[in-house]
Amino acid sequence: MSTINFTQVAKTYGDVRALDRVDLTVREGEFVALLGPSGCGKSTLLNLVAGFEKLSEGTMSFDGRPVTKPGPDRGVVFQEAALLPWLSVWENVVFGPKVQRISRAEYEPRATEILRIVGLENFHAALPVQLSGGMRQRVGIARAFVMQPRALLMDEPFGALDAQTRLSMQALLLDVWQSLKTTVLFVTHDIDEAILLADRVCVMTARPGRITRDIPITLPRPRTLDALTSAEFTRFKAEIMAEMRGVH
Amino acid sequence: MLNARWAKSGLAMLLPIVLIVLWQLAGHDGALAGGALPTPDRVWKAWLIWGFGTPGPMSLSPYIGNWIDAVAFSSFRVAKGFAMAIVVGIPLGIVLGWSKLAAALVDPTIQWLRPIPITAWLPISIAIYGISDFGAIFLIAIGAFYPIVVNTTQGARDVDKTWIRAALMMGASKIDILRRVVLPAALPAVFTGLRIGLGIAWTAVIVAEIVAVKSGLGYVLWDAYYVGRMDIVIADMVSIGLFGFMSDWAIVQLEFALLRWRRLQSFNA
Ligand SMILES: Nc1ncnc2c1ncn2[C@@H]1O[C@H](COP(=O)(O)OP(=O)(O)OP(=O)(O)O)[C@@H](O)[C@H]1O
Ligand SMILES: [Mg+2]
Repeated sequence: MSTINFTQVAKTYGDVRALDRVDLTVREGEFVALLGPSGCGKSTLLNLVAGFEKLSEGTMSFDGRPVTKPGPDRGVVFQEAALLPWLSVWENVVFGPKVQRISRAEYEPRATEILRIVGLENFHAALPVQLSGGMRQRVGIARAFVMQPRALLMDEPFGALDAQTRLSMQALLLDVWQSLKTTVLFVTHDIDEAILLADRVCVMTARPGRITRDIPITLPRPRTLDALTSAEFTRFKAEIMAEMRGVH
Repeated sequence: MLNARWAKSGLAMLLPIVLIVLWQLAGHDGALAGGALPTPDRVWKAWLIWGFGTPGPMSLSPYIGNWIDAVAFSSFRVAKGFAMAIVVGIPLGIVLGWSKLAAALVDPTIQWLRPIPITAWLPISIAIYGISDFGAIFLIAIGAFYPIVVNTTQGARDVDKTWIRAALMMGASKIDILRRVVLPAALPAVFTGLRIGLGIAWTAVIVAEIVAVKSGLGYVLWDAYYVGRMDIVIADMVSIGLFGFMSDWAIVQLEFALLRWRRLQSFNA
């Protein structure tokens, strides 16, 4: 069953055609990476699914229904984490369950577990300003996972991190995803990251924003960071780089 | 740590002490400016009597042992008027900052009424409420309302879009967003408004008590001037300064407790 479906979708901001005739299908449990240069409309596409923006043309559905507004069935992980700075780590993570009037008895063990998984069990009381960028992003991920969303929408979640932290976050995401198998739409402009994580890489171009190639990544699962140095990985990378440079 | 605090308090006291000493030394025969201004020792004596004296059956002075009454009248008026300004100003500011429609509807009116100083409201206040407590409270509320509502509106308007998106994504309702995102995000601006509003509230209470009520520090201030008791006038002024300062300090303490996240972000943390 498909979770996310775009048919001939366009999005314009005034004269700017941020997205143009986009077709995209993401199946349930699939991890799809959107890869493309800055300004090609990756965030725009993700924001349409999240319900933050309205499309201009075409149709789009999530779980078979048109998207009208944001909701907890689509967990979003933002580029700069976007935590609420006046709330502690714990309060940020349980914000969703709380506003959804889920009982404490139900969300508390779940939040405790997810914070343990992302390695923040000793930071429940910390404020976001007291955390490093990587830790903040782990709170952002925990906050999305704790809602048990039908899909995760991640907009360059590791884009602002240093190479080392980035690798460990990628390993963490692989681990968590491989055990939960949530549908993921993942925006990045890092080719390695896209190949390492995704089942499919959709390559986008700018002006107008379009998906030009949809490349299945057949690297075996479960994957670890070791996949980055395999011969197969390099083959995918070569193919994608050729695509991005416009060489066919 | 403790020493540093004492040192800071000492520094803070230095200038007032120097000024008082100079003022004392400048006076001869216990007075300054051709006898119009009493020196600190006289003010202090008058203040002690005003504060702790017991009026005898024959005493004519109205300033014996009733300082605390004047302070209480003024403070309660400020508290009530300020509370009214908060109760209306903060929620209204949040809504105006959040809703473009509400802002388009209400904001221009606020901006037109705002330049009218509280002194200009005096005749209307007296016409409606007469020489009464509520007239004073009404003036204080009006004076404090504008900075509170204007700053809260600004704070609510400046809320980071991604915070709202994050909350929507987690299933927050409109009310949740206003209460749990917009209000806390606007709080630093709200406190700016509260502090300015409180300053205006003290101005308003003195003006109101001079003109529209017959009790409190403002009333005593003018009354003492009429009977030529400049020692009481000065003691009264210092009292206003003291209580204005203490109420501001209370707000700063509250701000300190509520805005820890903000403090940790700032350069001086
Ligand atoms: N709110 C907006 N108003 C006007 N134009 C916008 C708006 N949001 C995006 N755009 C335009 O749409 C195009 C796509 O923007 P988008 O943010 O989706 O790019 P992106 O692929 O996410 O880029 P990046 O990798 O830099 O984040 C850009 O040309 C941008 O200027
Ligand atoms: Mg983007």
